Amino acid sequence: MTITNLSPTALSPALSKGPDLSRRGFLGVSGVFVLGACVPGCAPTPAPQLASGGFAPNLFLALEPDGTVRITAHRSEMGQGIRTALAQIVADELDADWARVQVEQAVGDTKYGDQNTDGSRSILLNYDRLRAAGATARLMLRQAAAQHWQVPVEEVTAANHAVTHAATGRQLGYGELAGEAAALPVPEEAPQKDNAEHRYIGQPQVHVDAAAIARGQGTFGADYQVPNMATAVIVRCPWLGGGVREVRNRPEPAPGFLGIEILQPAPSAGPVFAPLGGVAVIAEDTWTAIRTARELDVEWTESPNKSFDSEALQTALREACEKPGKGVPNAEQGDVDAVFAAGDGTELAATYETPFLAHAPMEPPVAVADVTADQCIINAPVQDPQATRHLVAEQFGFPIANVTVTPTLLGGAFGRKSKPDFVLEAVELSQRLGRPVRVQWLREDDVRHDYFHAASAQHHRAVIDEQGMPSAWLQRTAFPSITTMFRADAEPPAEWELEMGFSNLPYQVANRRMEYAGIRPGVRVGWLRSVCNIFHAFSANVFADEMAAAAGRDAIEHRLAMLGAAGKLDVPGMQPPTGHELDVSRLRHVIERVRELSEWQRPRPEGVGLGFAVHHSFRSYVATVLEATMANGQPQVSNAYVVLDCGTFINPDTCVAQMEGAVVFGLSLALRGNISMQGGAVVQSNFHDYPLLRLPEAPTTTVELVPAQGRLPAGVGEPGVPPIAPALVNALFAATGTRYRRLPIEA
Amino acid sequence: MALKLNVNGGEREADVSPDTPLLWVLRDHLGLTGTKYGCGGGYCGACTVHVDGNPVRACQLPVSTIGDSRVTTIEALEESHPQLLDVWVANNVAQCGYCQAGQLMSAAALLNSNPTPTVADIDAALAGNLCRCGTYGRIREAIQAAAGQPATEPAAAGENGQ
Repeated sequence: MTITNLSPTALSPALSKGPDLSRRGFLGVSGVFVLGACVPGCAPTPAPQLASGGFAPNLFLALEPDGTVRITAHRSEMGQGIRTALAQIVADELDADWARVQVEQAVGDTKYGDQNTDGSRSILLNYDRLRAAGATARLMLRQAAAQHWQVPVEEVTAANHAVTHAATGRQLGYGELAGEAAALPVPEEAPQKDNAEHRYIGQPQVHVDAAAIARGQGTFGADYQVPNMATAVIVRCPWLGGGVREVRNRPEPAPGFLGIEILQPAPSAGPVFAPLGGVAVIAEDTWTAIRTARELDVEWTESPNKSFDSEALQTALREACEKPGKGVPNAEQGDVDAVFAAGDGTELAATYETPFLAHAPMEPPVAVADVTADQCIINAPVQDPQATRHLVAEQFGFPIANVTVTPTLLGGAFGRKSKPDFVLEAVELSQRLGRPVRVQWLREDDVRHDYFHAASAQHHRAVIDEQGMPSAWLQRTAFPSITTMFRADAEPPAEWELEMGFSNLPYQVANRRMEYAGIRPGVRVGWLRSVCNIFHAFSANVFADEMAAAAGRDAIEHRLAMLGAAGKLDVPGMQPPTGHELDVSRLRHVIERVRELSEWQRPRPEGVGLGFAVHHSFRSYVATVLEATMANGQPQVSNAYVVLDCGTFINPDTCVAQMEGAVVFGLSLALRGNISMQGGAVVQSNFHDYPLLRLPEAPTTTVELVPAQGRLPAGVGEPGVPPIAPALVNALFAATGTRYRRLPIEA
Repeated sequence: MALKLNVNGGEREADVSPDTPLLWVLRDHLGLTGTKYGCGGGYCGACTVHVDGNPVRACQLPVSTIGDSRVTTIEALEESHPQLLDVWVANNVAQCGYCQAGQLMSAAALLNSNPTPTVADIDAALAGNLCRCGTYGRIREAIQAAAGQPATEPAAAGENGQ
């Protein structure tokens, strides 16, 4: 495993596509064979007959003689509805009856290609190959029926789980054809539907796990049961890199208490996602482990990170972005300094700041590992079962074939569960104890020992004319780079971090320079839902609003003017993947739509402000308007309006839900989110001091989805988040005249 | 020590330390894993169950204090509130789903005591249940729909979702 495999490759211009399906592979489950998919280049090969009489022409689907279609979801479900969406794609091209579709979860295995459920790209990476998987099976079922009836294949049609020969009125169900289809060679190519023929793609669908979840029957990480399992709760050093010097009070024997295990921390810049170390308290049941862990008195070794102070870092970031930094290569246009020196027009300058954030998924990290003499079986809520498998094999020296990683349902993740340190803890303990072990992180562990979203500062300086149009724009950003997790010498932000809303700003400015700086943090940092877009979209959207306000101009009109004419944007230094160039006309469209949707021009009562923000991220376009007031010193958001253009979408209801959720996620971080460190230790510990938005505070959210228009699929899970905080700040400015430039908003 | 509990209408026995919170008795000893651990401090509501019909935080309730009280968990909701579950599923309320058992238990308790809640009633009754995915709007709508009321209209400015 390489670092690149675990970094959010979605964010790099070159998309990692993973192996395609033109290879044969076999899945050793109940005698059902699996062929590599039937994309061009795949040699026609007879499909072996199955003991079950079933038919499984590729990795992603199997058809049983009783008509059941089993579709394999190889991406992790964390609320984004991916298990449903992947199945919708296959079932559509297969023309299956949705009621007879079952979804099975894939283990981590390179044969599936990329499984890193991260970067809002599951549909993007899998749309074509899953359509091909379904379409090939449908063609083979038609061929089987044609052969059965001794008629040309062109005369038979497949629809809704059956093949029909219209001329003679004969019909066979898919299940009845499974055996004969399995005996056919897999065709090189299979016709796919026209977009207009899609019956599941683009249509709302209830999530396949919804019924189980509503009945308390969904299996999340901590719900996975295995006989003879012990539970471990780990007491960790408050500062990063400290080890156990001494456990001062050995716990008294008690029923269910099994003992403690010392886990040494990885060396600094040690293996990627290595555990933090600590003292593991092992018990037969969770409560005994928790209670005993709370009583432990541990003396920790020193670490340079013990002096880490987030407020000092914040000051350093602010200072760093208020002086020259490194220039983004090939991004400079014109002569910013000459315009500033000339003194024509109005000069604006502002500095914006955002703090560390914790992911705080409702399900804290948890993992079950069962290490025996020749097997390591892991069930855990992981975003990337494949990388987890490789990491475990590598770090423990297990043959890869002996490691099985099955994702449970993820009780929220937001990027946290793409870092499988908690799995490695469970494997280590199961190996030591010789029995299955569940490692249960407590909420306090989760808040204090996260891979935090990085604190940041941005400085913007511009010269604007009376229309608010900038003739020069200097942008600077400073934040601890995620690459500091991977390399001991890493300091400046990486190109892919800068391309998240900083170096790819779409506004037309004759004179422009972008500079950046990085500072190594004394804590772990990592990507959180929409990553650097959070702070970059925040500062750029608020600064743009400040330009409009300074000129007394309508914010949306001003923004459209700054965007310039429709067309593909040529972003200096940026090489977007083909088909995913930043399209200014699509950006303009979502802005124009949200202006309508929010009735932007309708006057609101005194004290009610509208705020606008727009952002392009994860290849999608999102424009947002929030309606807010300041009531008794508290910001209150009554309505949120969101327009999303994500190209081709699978389940529109999921897209709407992700935007609704993004509003709440964005408001939580804008109003409450703040993680601070003193003496290397995180100050906050639970939801009382790391509060999230609660139901009474949630606005009514209205979402409009731009029609697919045959465009490439793009991201949905993340791109709704970045516009929320700036839209709120802009709305509060409209409501009160006060500009909040530091998050969380402190009114 | 072996404790007798009335859970979902049946008598159950658990051999646990008396200070064990009800949450862990349900999950670790009775195999009722629908009730979730979210914070252990009573802040998030993921562990909400009913005790004698009242919504309580199971992580805050030592099992020794339950006595003869009736404990109801998410696993029993299908029998008592099938319409609520149907609406919840049909409206795709859940995202990741982890908090949803707690949300549903709070919703069911509200509907038991107030069959036609206003949005303000819903907001008050569900304020203790966090959802990181942000399903709050759909929770409001589902409870209203289950109570046979029209869905939420856009909020008047200055109000939250009312």
